[in-house]
Amino acid sequence: MTFPPRRPGAVVLVLALAVAGAACGDRLPPAAGGPPARVVSLAPSVTEIVFALGAGDRLVGVCGECDHPPEAARLPRVGGWVVPSVEAVLAARPDVVFAVPSPGNHEAVLALERAGTRVEVVHDRVLADLWDAVRRIAAVLGVPARGEQLGADLARRLDEVHARVAGLPAPRVLVVVGHDPLIVVGGGTLQDELVRLAGGVNVAADAGTAWPALPLEVVVARAPDVIVDAAMGTDAGGRRLFARLTTVPAVRDGRVVALRDDAFLRAGPRVPDAAAELAELLHPGLARTRDAG
Amino acid sequence: MSVRAPYLTRGRLVATLALLAVLLAVSIAAAVFVGPAPASLARALGPDGASTPDRAILFGTRLPRVLLGAVVGASLSTAGAALQGILGNPLACPHVLGISAGAAVAAAIALVAAGDTMSPLLPLAAFAGALVATAIVGFGARAHGRTTAHAILLFGVVFNAVAAALLMLIEALASYRQVHGILFWMMGTLSTQSWVVVAAVALYAAVGLVWLLRHAHHLNLLAAGDEDAARLGVDVERARLAVFAAAALLTAASVAVAGMIGFVGLVVPHLLRLVLGPDERLLLPASFLAGAAFLVWADALARTVLGPAELPVGVVTALTGGPFFLYLLRRSLARVLP
Repeated sequence: MTFPPRRPGAVVLVLALAVAGAACGDRLPPAAGGPPARVVSLAPSVTEIVFALGAGDRLVGVCGECDHPPEAARLPRVGGWVVPSVEAVLAARPDVVFAVPSPGNHEAVLALERAGTRVEVVHDRVLADLWDAVRRIAAVLGVPARGEQLGADLARRLDEVHARVAGLPAPRVLVVVGHDPLIVVGGGTLQDELVRLAGGVNVAADAGTAWPALPLEVVVARAPDVIVDAAMGTDAGGRRLFARLTTVPAVRDGRVVALRDDAFLRAGPRVPDAAAELAELLHPGLARTRDAG
Repeated sequence: MSVRAPYLTRGRLVATLALLAVLLAVSIAAAVFVGPAPASLARALGPDGASTPDRAILFGTRLPRVLLGAVVGASLSTAGAALQGILGNPLACPHVLGISAGAAVAAAIALVAAGDTMSPLLPLAAFAGALVATAIVGFGARAHGRTTAHAILLFGVVFNAVAAALLMLIEALASYRQVHGILFWMMGTLSTQSWVVVAAVALYAAVGLVWLLRHAHHLNLLAAGDEDAARLGVDVERARLAVFAAAALLTAASVAVAGMIGFVGLVVPHLLRLVLGPDERLLLPASFLAGAAFLVWADALARTVLGPAELPVGVVTALTGGPFFLYLLRRSLARVLP
């Protein structure tokens, strides 16, 4: 399992603090010595982490896709996740900006740094990134203990989900994120990790890329027991796509299921919820067992 | 490879087309056995064949895809041959004149509105968008009931640029996931479609070819220039409009179901013109058959080379057709320039 081991975690924390400290010392006069009071988040996952650390009141700007928790929706927008607005970010006068590499924000991040703004880059692709991001953000915000607590809490809840599916037969799972062309979850992704945590086997884990496009015949050949449809769009679209593949167990047994929760797509503090939801989709009896127990 | 094309005789026409038809038939039959999922024909046709994955793979998913590739390749290639002929310009192809771009804009709007790439709205919108684009270019480039090849080409190229800008505007306003959907749609894929869709596109391909063949003689005369063609009894405006409309229908049907697959409509007719000569009576049906075979093989490559994942077939057509085309150009250039 891929939960953060305590000791290396502490090393990472120390390193993160050292890096953060060095960055402060090198480039910026520390803002009156205290932790940053004005924070801008350029990614949905970061926004959720900042709120989960209890520092949501320090956010003075978030990205256009930062829609969770509901309080985030009321914050000023500073452009999109893909391309943030440098001017809008600077106008928010942040003490620190948290960014996640997106297809189009590299130039913006460089421009912000040239303007003298402190930018902290974290990642949100896999669970290991989440542990790292929680510690880094907590350290930068001056609440390292809350970071440790949040990380431990998330890891414990993921453990609980995994414990509930332990010993159950592992269904073969295909997770769909695009209908036409058919794009699925490959190996090395958060979603692949969540499938394993939820007690399933990702039939496209070996497809070579993170988000492979698959010919429909591969779905027939891999014969998944469950097809999880997390694609943009409608349940009807997914059902129509697979309806004719009657030799596929998932289609034959009516187990083409929808998962439209965006928590499943972000390495943020809601991944335990996504893992629990996925576990219940993969093991239909699970919800009832939990209620009974 | 002969640039000096002999006079077209009935014998040469029949022999060439028969050869290409055999090539296409063999290509389709062979391509059904090329794919990332292993499947046995013996099991598929065996006593319990109906319920085997082998049957589902070979006949349920792969055969419709191969046939869709054939009709889309045939349509794009024939449309390209017709446009190159009527505009007297070797760079003309369905994607240059804004026909596909019109389809793409409409498809992108439909995708944002419907929110699902599987929505039946998408091909309908793309089809309508292609026809609207054709009407804008065709009628826009007309004045006093007349038009010139030059005007159509210029109007088409500029319309294409405007449509591309519209597409970028839609992408700027759409969500990140919708943009992803639009981009993948634009790359062009021959995902498995239902038999109804394959049959519908095949119908358009057949009607388009027959329609164009009826004008093949006019196309030949138009190659001599508008005035000469008119003197020889061709209703130049009518002929040009008819050919343009047929090419648009062929393109619209293909782009609606397979997105923007490039290079088929440019390279195949061009290559055939180099090999077979400029007679449209041979060039049009030959483009139909050879374009079909080309896309069948390009897609066979697209679905196996990264196996089990697939490449967008448009990437394969561009990367195989493009360099080969450049090589041929260089060879003929070396012969033309002393």
